[in-house]
Amino acid sequence: MSHLTRRELLRASGAGLLALSAGGALSACGGSNGTGSSGGDAATGTITVWSWTSAADALRGVVPLFEKDNPGIKVDVQDVGNPAIWDKITVGLAAGGQGLADVLHIGCDYLPGYLEKFPNGLADLSALGADAHKDKFAPGLWPVVTDKSGRARALPWEVNAQGFFYRKDMFDKAGLDPTTFATWDDVVAAAGAFKAANPGVGLVGINKTGTPGPDTDFLQSLMQQQGAFFFDLQGDITLTSPECVRALTLVKRLDEAGLLIETPGATAWRAQIKDSKLGAGPQPSWAAHFIETKFPELSGNWRLTRPPAVTPGGKRTALVNSTHLAVASSSPRRAAAWKFVEYALTRPDAVNAMFKAGSVFPALTAAYQDPVYNEPSAYYGGQPVLKTFTELLSEGGDATNYSGDFARALKLVSDAQAKVLTKGADPADALQEAAKQLAQQTGRKIK
Amino acid sequence: MTPVTPVTPAVPAVPAASAARPGRRRLRGWPVTLVLAAVTGLSIAPFYWLVVSATLTDNEIFSWPPHLLPGSHLGENLRHLQDRVGLGRVVLNSLLVSGIQTVGALVVALLAGYAFAKFRFRGRTVLFAVLLSTLVVPDQVMLVPLFKMMMSFGLLDSYQALILPGLCVPFAIFLMRQALSSMPDELLDAARVDGAGELRVLFGVVVPVMRPVLAALGIFLFLGSWNNFVWPLIALRSPEMHTMPVALATLQGMKTNTDYGPILAGTALSTLPMMVLFLVLQRQFISGLLAGATKG
Amino acid sequence: MTAAAPSVAARPAAPSKQVRRARLRRRAVPYLLLAPALVLFGTFKAYPIVSSLLLSLTTGSGSATQGAGLANYRRLLDDPLFWTALGNTARILVVQVPVMLGLALLMAVGLNAALVRWRVVWRLGIFMPTVTGLVATGILFSFLLNKENGAVNKALEAIGLSGVDWFGNGFWAQMAVVLVLTWHYTGYNAVIYLAGLQGIPRELYEAAMVDGAGPVRRFFSVTLPALRPVVLFTVVLSSIGTLQLFDEPYVLTRGGPDNATLTVSMYLYDNGFRYFDFGYASAIAYALTLIVSVLGAVQMRLMGERE
Repeated sequence: MSHLTRRELLRASGAGLLALSAGGALSACGGSNGTGSSGGDAATGTITVWSWTSAADALRGVVPLFEKDNPGIKVDVQDVGNPAIWDKITVGLAAGGQGLADVLHIGCDYLPGYLEKFPNGLADLSALGADAHKDKFAPGLWPVVTDKSGRARALPWEVNAQGFFYRKDMFDKAGLDPTTFATWDDVVAAAGAFKAANPGVGLVGINKTGTPGPDTDFLQSLMQQQGAFFFDLQGDITLTSPECVRALTLVKRLDEAGLLIETPGATAWRAQIKDSKLGAGPQPSWAAHFIETKFPELSGNWRLTRPPAVTPGGKRTALVNSTHLAVASSSPRRAAAWKFVEYALTRPDAVNAMFKAGSVFPALTAAYQDPVYNEPSAYYGGQPVLKTFTELLSEGGDATNYSGDFARALKLVSDAQAKVLTKGADPADALQEAAKQLAQQTGRKIK
Repeated sequence: MTPVTPVTPAVPAVPAASAARPGRRRLRGWPVTLVLAAVTGLSIAPFYWLVVSATLTDNEIFSWPPHLLPGSHLGENLRHLQDRVGLGRVVLNSLLVSGIQTVGALVVALLAGYAFAKFRFRGRTVLFAVLLSTLVVPDQVMLVPLFKMMMSFGLLDSYQALILPGLCVPFAIFLMRQALSSMPDELLDAARVDGAGELRVLFGVVVPVMRPVLAALGIFLFLGSWNNFVWPLIALRSPEMHTMPVALATLQGMKTNTDYGPILAGTALSTLPMMVLFLVLQRQFISGLLAGATKG
Repeated sequence: MTAAAPSVAARPAAPSKQVRRARLRRRAVPYLLLAPALVLFGTFKAYPIVSSLLLSLTTGSGSATQGAGLANYRRLLDDPLFWTALGNTARILVVQVPVMLGLALLMAVGLNAALVRWRVVWRLGIFMPTVTGLVATGILFSFLLNKENGAVNKALEAIGLSGVDWFGNGFWAQMAVVLVLTWHYTGYNAVIYLAGLQGIPRELYEAAMVDGAGPVRRFFSVTLPALRPVVLFTVVLSSIGTLQLFDEPYVLTRGGPDNATLTVSMYLYDNGFRYFDFGYASAIAYALTLIVSVLGAVQMRLMGERE
């Protein structure tokens, strides 16, 4: 009987395993085979694009036109989801570019990190002719997509300028007109009147503790309006600059004036808008579409104006975020991939088709000629709400250097803001401390 | 103690005494029942919110006070889900991957656990320690090497890429060894005396007795595989291959660019197979021992 | 004791050659049983582990790496955030694991009691949190634990206590993580205990009752000793799980406020996937591995694992 043992064993253990590993032919391999990390410059074939949700929808809208104009190239847009896409791109880059899609949709917060830490991960688009489009995008964006030696590694697609959304009904009740606010000081000065007419309502919702996740967009926009940021263009730390201190001090003053309300996360923000707990929103351009579609019951109450300046006569524009399309160096079809990127992002008709399909606000300034940006919006009381943004973008913002250490800096700045808002810390001290730690962790100079 | 004695599922009450006083017995059960009901309530309450939210619009989900009764948006949420991720295919992928992985891992763990528990051999302690020690290595560091390896095998974007790394589960081997070492050797020896080969002993004697443990372990393995997110996200490329958690992740966009209704509907939906499995298998580990031991 | 020997000896007398061959076969059996596990283990666990272990000896970020010897481990010793993360993880572990396992054991005993009614309902109910996916858990508890109008704070206020700033205060954020972990995994452990309870021979209880032991004494003199291997299993496993804690802080707090819920695995993830420093991330992983291994060994020793 016992001679059966081994055979039985083999059958049970080995066979199952063999069946599994030999079953390679059964797998539905989606074209990942044979992708070497060295890449190639084929101008035809099927290219894969990684993006997320509505942006992926928008890109799909361009594909039929592109495929018609470029026989021999097929485009497969895959919706990976965000933040899932970052883990996927990061692992691919860390594995030497293996297994990445041909075209990658990357945000301004990750792009500089990828450029700095994986210098050969993204294809040099300047070599493919990207520099010809250099001046076509909203001023301030080009430095974001170029590497240290000035080569373009991505093309700007979406850009969000900061706008000042407000509830007209609430401000009317207080006898105030936000379009007359020249600086944020005017906003602070109006706090008493606004609060008296609208008890319990705030103007800016901030996640004061930075949990979960940093909420420093507003603070960043105040820095950007002054042409400042965490880093200067050389990559030195500038958190202790007068501009940065002024920005954080302003946040603190708004809080002390009772205009800042605790908004723990995006879901809470939605609830506060819905329950009319927020009378304004310094929010980027995507909010125009968002507020309109998510809160139909508030139709007619919302208006938009330019954000007040930080200092008298100062800039009103801040490019709070942008996203870009890059080509993976490992792509065997870099030329074809570039063709698609160029087609999708540098032609006003394509860019506007994407804006209409997925409300991705374009960085391409020529696109703003389209009548859609001047159309009055019934939801915003007949105001041509998008026009405010195209004007701001045409003026342009100052270039922002996110740097390869943006993630570390963001965490420290968020901690600093939390200390100021929840523990009453002095803004200058908090930023000093953050700058010191950042210098320690990254080896960068404090300027 | 005689191993073949049937073991009743319940902690004992003296049978004669309790039979004589059915009324009192029933009364005595109430306090425990009430406590259990309270604990169950706490367990389920958040879950109930999930199910209700699956039937609401986004604005209803975020409103205060929360909705306590289901809304009318379930169909809409499911349709959205179907449009974006193709539910049928995704559920099928998940079932296939989790099913094969669970059965495979159970067999591997049973064989290995049996070896560790019932045999003395050279290298036993070392091998067990090595297996066990990898239990403590955080998964995140293995992602990049595993990804490179699957790439070189040409297995990215395949079912094998998802299944193979999950077949040798140190925790399952550990559990099987723990369970098997408490099983009396006499039972095995009796079968061996009858001339049964090792596999015959294993599947004829051990498996029936171990059914409760296998059932419980099966649930955990299936659960782990079903909810596994990061590795499938990295290893898969085509939407046709997506498993449930990966597909649900594609519904998340930047900031507020996310529709929560469909995500929550999908999450609620994806718990269904687990519950069915639990309901089916719990019988096994509650009363299975009785049947198994007598058959053996 | 060896299981193989008696069965060979029990075989009827046979020529010595055959006995030797049989013995050889017997000796091969455990290795054959282990073969699938070892092959899979070597390929899909050992290789990635060795590979990332080597990575922990390199420095530089992303693709620009070079050998660095033990520099990453030295850096670890001087990294205040690593120690913060380790301290947080330990604090959560010490509170969470005993609370959860104690609760799970009580639940299991309750579920196993003869007199309970509608047992299946409770069993399923207690297991249900275990099947809830990560994203839903995150959304769920960010609602429930909301400072202003979360259900938990409303309930606290209803019984006359004041609400808690769950995500704004470091201590409470840790408690929030403990709470969610306990909610999520108590049922899981209760099921393990339940399966274990089923294996306790009734005779032991009957003998104890003959000796006049009440329910409490029966629990301590019969149930607990009999469950010892299972308890050991869950203690070791839960400790490992909590030491590797990542999911809950990831979806609930992202390590905040002020790093109060930054766990070692969170920190590891940040270094690898946010700062692209995989060498350092690997070093964190193996420092954690070392700690967990030592702790696991101590637990086994303390709880009297007998080889």
